[in-house]
Amino acid sequence: MASIKQKSATQVQDFAVLPLATPATQSYPSNTTHYLYLRPNAPRAPTEDTPRELFLVNVPVDTTETHLRSLFADQLGGARVEDVEFEHARLGKGIKAPVVQTIGKKGRKRKRDSEGAVVESNGEEVGLLPEVWERELHPSGATAVVRFVDRASASLALKEARRVARAGRRVPWGTEAVEARVPALGSERYLSHHRLRFPDVAALRGSVDAFMAAFSAQEAERARAFARQRSAPDEDGFVTVTRGGRKGPAREAETKAKEEELKKREKSRIKEDFYRFQVREKKKENARDLVRGFEEDRRRVEEMRKRKGRVRPEG
Amino acid sequence: MSSEQEFVTPRKVPRETGATQKSLSRSARPSQSGASENSAYNSGTFKSNTFKIQVDELLAQIRPRHGARESAAENALHRLKGIIEAIPAGAPLSVDDAERGLLMSSKVVIPFMEPRPPKDAKYKLEYSKPSSINVVGSYALKTASRVEAVAAIDMLVTMPTALFQDKDFLNYRYFYKRAYYLAVIAAALQSACETEYSTRFKYHHDNPFKPIIVVAPNAHKSSSKGKTSSSKWEINILLSTSADVFPPEKLLPDRNCVRNAVDNSSEGGAIATPFYNSSIRSDMLVSSYLKLSHSAAKDCAAFVDACILGNTWLRQRGLGSDIQAGGFGLFEFSAFMALLLSGEGNLRPILGSGYSSYQLLKATLQLLATRDFSKEPLIIGSTSGNVKATGRGAPIVWDGQRQHNLLFKMTPWAYRLLRLEARTTLSMLSDQNFDGFEAAFIMRKDLDLYRYDYVVALSKGLLGPDNASPGQAPLQKYRQLYEVLERALGDRVNLISITAHRSKAWRVDYADPTQRSEGEIRVGFVINPATVHRTVDHGPPAEKKAEAAQFREFWGEKAELRRFKDGSILESLVWSAKESGQSVFEQIVRYAISKHLGERVEKDVQIAGESFARLLSGTASDTNSQGSLEAFRQFETDLRGLDGLPLSIREIVPADAQLRSTSLTSIRNQRQQIPADVVLQFEGSARWPDDLVAIQRTKIAFLLTIHSQLAGSSETATARVGLENGEHDVLNQAFLDVTYDSGASFRLRIHHDREQTLLERRLKDKALDPRTKEVAALGLAKYRRDYVKLPAFTQAIARLCSRYPALSGTIRLLKKWFASHLLDNHVADPVIEMLAARTFVQPWPWQAPSSVQTGFLRTLHWISRWDWRNEPLIVDLSGSGDLKQPEVQSIQTKFEAWRKLDPALNRVVLFCASSVDQDGTAWTDGRPQKVVAARLTALARAACAEVVDKGLDLQPASLFASPLADFDFVIHLNSDFMLNAKSSRKSNGSSAFKNLELDVDTDASRVGYQPLRDFTSEVEALFGAAVLFFSGGEERAVLAGLWQPQTADRAWKLNLGYSTIPRIGSEGEEDVRAEINREGILAEIARIGGDLVKAIEVNRR
Repeated sequence: MASIKQKSATQVQDFAVLPLATPATQSYPSNTTHYLYLRPNAPRAPTEDTPRELFLVNVPVDTTETHLRSLFADQLGGARVEDVEFEHARLGKGIKAPVVQTIGKKGRKRKRDSEGAVVESNGEEVGLLPEVWERELHPSGATAVVRFVDRASASLALKEARRVARAGRRVPWGTEAVEARVPALGSERYLSHHRLRFPDVAALRGSVDAFMAAFSAQEAERARAFARQRSAPDEDGFVTVTRGGRKGPAREAETKAKEEELKKREKSRIKEDFYRFQVREKKKENARDLVRGFEEDRRRVEEMRKRKGRVRPEG
Repeated sequence: MSSEQEFVTPRKVPRETGATQKSLSRSARPSQSGASENSAYNSGTFKSNTFKIQVDELLAQIRPRHGARESAAENALHRLKGIIEAIPAGAPLSVDDAERGLLMSSKVVIPFMEPRPPKDAKYKLEYSKPSSINVVGSYALKTASRVEAVAAIDMLVTMPTALFQDKDFLNYRYFYKRAYYLAVIAAALQSACETEYSTRFKYHHDNPFKPIIVVAPNAHKSSSKGKTSSSKWEINILLSTSADVFPPEKLLPDRNCVRNAVDNSSEGGAIATPFYNSSIRSDMLVSSYLKLSHSAAKDCAAFVDACILGNTWLRQRGLGSDIQAGGFGLFEFSAFMALLLSGEGNLRPILGSGYSSYQLLKATLQLLATRDFSKEPLIIGSTSGNVKATGRGAPIVWDGQRQHNLLFKMTPWAYRLLRLEARTTLSMLSDQNFDGFEAAFIMRKDLDLYRYDYVVALSKGLLGPDNASPGQAPLQKYRQLYEVLERALGDRVNLISITAHRSKAWRVDYADPTQRSEGEIRVGFVINPATVHRTVDHGPPAEKKAEAAQFREFWGEKAELRRFKDGSILESLVWSAKESGQSVFEQIVRYAISKHLGERVEKDVQIAGESFARLLSGTASDTNSQGSLEAFRQFETDLRGLDGLPLSIREIVPADAQLRSTSLTSIRNQRQQIPADVVLQFEGSARWPDDLVAIQRTKIAFLLTIHSQLAGSSETATARVGLENGEHDVLNQAFLDVTYDSGASFRLRIHHDREQTLLERRLKDKALDPRTKEVAALGLAKYRRDYVKLPAFTQAIARLCSRYPALSGTIRLLKKWFASHLLDNHVADPVIEMLAARTFVQPWPWQAPSSVQTGFLRTLHWISRWDWRNEPLIVDLSGSGDLKQPEVQSIQTKFEAWRKLDPALNRVVLFCASSVDQDGTAWTDGRPQKVVAARLTALARAACAEVVDKGLDLQPASLFASPLADFDFVIHLNSDFMLNAKSSRKSNGSSAFKNLELDVDTDASRVGYQPLRDFTSEVEALFGAAVLFFSGGEERAVLAGLWQPQTADRAWKLNLGYSTIPRIGSEGEEDVRAEINREGILAEIARIGGDLVKAIEVNRR
């Protein structure tokens, strides 16, 4: 743990600054320092877990849960991490298949009697597509929330971090021991990504089937709900107008086409040069267009002249 | 002229246009005529308003003005006149005495032409007072352009008739007497004002029969402070004689006036000497032509302006009155136009005096372009003699009244060039979508490398002296060279043009130095790309004895008699496709030159023009892309052959550079490792779900079905379903990779048009959160780009590539250029292709390029001049005028709307619209950024400067070298992971067996594996806020970076988007500054890259 050469802050606003010593690599053989900022988590809407969470800013791009576990357990007083939530976690993880339970919830708001006669809904997400990365990276300067096993561990970790920073020490990051436990970076990672992009066909089919089954169940449920709304007046005696009485999309296109047709017919009923005034108007319009076009052109040339200076044949 | 009030409102237009050109009286006063020109901005008298305004401005800039140099020159004119008038008449002298006398008295060598007068000549040379001294030419007519560096004024000295005898037009006698007369004047000037002016001889327009005197202010007088503007003039003293000295019928073009002393045969039998005759005639007619032009200028208000425009047009194309410059310059142009206006003798003139200057110019060009005066002479006015085309490609414009061929100086190649230029300009001016002003009058287009596909250089000396046969035009050797090349190359070339250094003025006390042969001749070629590579030429059939003999005589041992499949027996030539790296073109040129001009000449020949195309060796060639198209057709058939699909297929369209023959990386060694994108659309069905996410899943289901069916039906194909866009579930989620054993592979995506409606609906939905809307916007742009525009674009480019053989190579070379300069990740392929295609569909002021070199260099030239901030790129990819004026207008409006919306150019910098994408932002939204576009311009400018500097010595590779020192840091990538790396594919140990290696190569699981690309895009995503990356793509294993300026030192805050160091600021502990952690970031990049990164080099801290 080398001491820090230049003067850097140990405290920024309410963040503790933890210098991390990152290892030299073959292609960039110098020891560098990365600065991690920590503070107790303070979201706008705290949950019961908030007290045992730390908020991290500027996590290294190659951070994994393993890295953070090891950081707190091995380097900062042995605080135990329960789990880590990265800010920029890929949404791909959470492709939300329509879960029947949620539909039930949504439906309940609208209708009076709860209806649960849908497929085997156990509340879990179905139809997720397979993961394509073995190890996710995080954008530079990203944040993360670390949840510790208990409140004491969280505060211990923070205290330890402040102590280390004040002492001017650097904590080693990405040690060999840690790296050995996570998937490798470099070409190996891209190769594995390439492999994962082409998942097993059967698994993929299963996932799609599950999704589609859930989706059609949801559709059916919604259609039923709409039908009910259409047929029965509500408490105040109104019948709600809902879409889907007839099959939607095809009808819509048809009406549009009809509308266009009507417009065309209207237009062609009286020819544009039938009345004298039409011809006159048209001429006037043309003349106006010409003047406008001329003014426009002159303005354009004026601008061009301003940009390019005088017109002169090239020598 | 240019004041605003004079533009009459269009109310007057009908009246003006109603008047035909006939009813516009000839005597229209200039003011009236000027007004009609102004008001007519919309009635066809000018191409467009913009064009007219620009022409007016140009004219105001270059119209002659009376300035310091003009008054200085006029002072000199008066002096010279005085001196010449004071020369005493001398006694008649014999040739010998005259020569010695002048040499002794004033050290002036008489500029006799070759052959020199015989020593025993009986006639005497004599000087007597000139009958008149006048100012003539462009200065007198006020048609000289102000932009010329030196104001040249022609002063005409008319020799008295009494000096000449009746027969002096024979055997150069006129010219000998003329030379003596000139030398006497030179001697007088020399002695009178040697200190102020320099007096030198020069050939008038390179005509070796006619030396003139050039008087210019002495350089040393003003050398202390450089040339002041008052010293930038020169006066040409021309000699003429009166029009009735010799009978004109004796000097008709079919007469012989140079009798051979030996056989002194009769007039009729000897070879005609048209050039000699016309040279005398032109001396006799100087004042007559001056009068003609004057009266034209008086009758037609726009005449002078039209002359100025015409002169500018000629000048920018490198044409001029000098024989070496083509023999068609301002004098010929204005005389030609004046003749057309006058219509002397004819019933009605060809041009109307009511024409605007633009109409005059255009009509003149039209006449030049459409009529071939070398085949069918243009006769203006009645003629007594019989004017026939001479053959050998020299044009004749016969002025009946003056009995003179106006174009007698033009060489066949210059005439062809002039016609080509006229044709090009006309089609340019009729292109409604192109403002041709710059291309017509501003751009200089006589640079060989832009103009010609091939340039052959050979030294002048080796051709031998230009000892013309008696009385013939000069440059006989050039003519011979031209004829040999023309005959040898035939339809392989569209244009052959010869240029050499122009003759210079020489001191009066020296003999003409230009006789000594030195310097270089350049022959430029515009090839016909369809035929230039043909390896077998068919000659005449063996039965036609005379023709066959001629053929054999021309080709020598190269000619062979061959029997062809259709049974015909023809004389033919066979060229090897690749003989010691020489193209067919080069083989022919070298063979023909060595056969007809000698081996010594051939040894000296340098041919430029192949080197750019050679840079493309090793990339996909045309035959390869043909192969991939065939593979695509196979793929399409296979798909259509599947009978178990739930929906029938509507269309399968290619959407990839590899399938429009414009890909660099595609097919190396016939192994296609990057799958080509293909879009499939099913027939419409109501059974699709009406939800974006579900649509994407349904597509996967379809792909899985195709996958299983393909596996059953095709044995040569391997298919795999892959995933993409995992971060947004409304975007396309999956594709099907199909790899054939032959190496071809395709990536199939399904296009469902309902997506568009759903995405649009999402965008309009006010209830949705901005994040979702952003994704919807992204999805919509992607949808339009990938499923609508890209297939249309691919089709359009493929069509253009088959129409223009040089386009594919140009695009590939341009892509290589972009990648070599590390712009691969900034400029999308379609943008590069549009830039190249523009050079072909809107080639002005050139014709569509016929070789990769001209295509590439002209594209760079255009990029270097592209003012992307103020001009959109609009390309009509249909190539057949599908993009009409209103559409162009609407594109222009869209462009202006973008600029108004985003004046700082944060989103769209390059606006590239085409007939398939009228929005103009499909491939340039967000990329390239302003800095990158500026760098692009700078790089193109540097390249063009190099082209101008080096000329024919240009090393093509030098345009592709890009120094890395400009960047803050450079990441050197491991080239083993590049697509074209050979070693990377070798599996360990098995390299002993060649066949095993091949198996690894075609391994379908590796298809599409591009770790360097993945790395580049990932690094860009992670560090984009801090670093601007420049990638060399597959061309250069380098990723360079610039630190973004917004990462400068600033107060610390939470969401900076890049890694920082908390520095204690100047104001104590509380003031913490955020400094970008550069080293930390580089270390992170090194860690992510692992073995992909070889080294990181930091140029600036």
